[in-house]
Amino acid sequence: MKNNIRVERAIKNITQADLAEQVGVSRQTINTIESNKYVPSTVLALKIARVFGKTVEEIFTLSEED
Amino acid sequence: MKSRFLFPYWCRYLGLVLILVHIPIVMFKKDLGFDLHGAPGSDLFNSHHLFFMTTTLLMAIGLFLVAFAKEKIEDEQILQLRLDSLQWAIYVNYIILVISLIFTNDTEHILFLNLLIPLVFFIIRFRWKIFQNNRLIKE
Repeated sequence: MKNNIRVERAIKNITQADLAEQVGVSRQTINTIESNKYVPSTVLALKIARVFGKTVEEIFTLSEED
Repeated sequence: MKSRFLFPYWCRYLGLVLILVHIPIVMFKKDLGFDLHGAPGSDLFNSHHLFFMTTTLLMAIGLFLVAFAKEKIEDEQILQLRLDSLQWAIYVNYIILVISLIFTNDTEHILFLNLLIPLVFFIIRFRWKIFQNNRLIKE
């Protein structure tokens, strides 16, 4: 699964730590999601999308191996 | 997501203290007058058995608290790492158990290994994964 959290964060001008605090996880978790090492749960994906005011599909997309 | 059945964060330090207290007691057990794991064939609750029981419990409870204390931020990734590490620990434990059952008949040490390995391996694997994630963030 791919995501464009890093881009969205740059647009909104917030750090990983800010995003982590707003969705209630650790900074490490946001970091591993951004580098595609960890796939978030649906709940967390929805929370992240809500922070950016977008739908989940606009932020997370399936990759070829999924 | 809520993790259930975990000890509060400070229990990790309590656990470490228990383990640290246990080490010198076992190291100097000869000086304290206990040189056996329990004199063979003797009654329960003699001094050797009590010593063995107390030190083993001290260590097991210490490891247990360290292994199952909450992290500062207990999120879903930590939960997954915990579960993953637990699976690894059980695998390693049973592999060693099977090997030692085949190649030895020293049941006392097998019991002791069986008591230690799941918790020790779990702690090492879990901490290693957290360390890796922390290192990743600094890059």
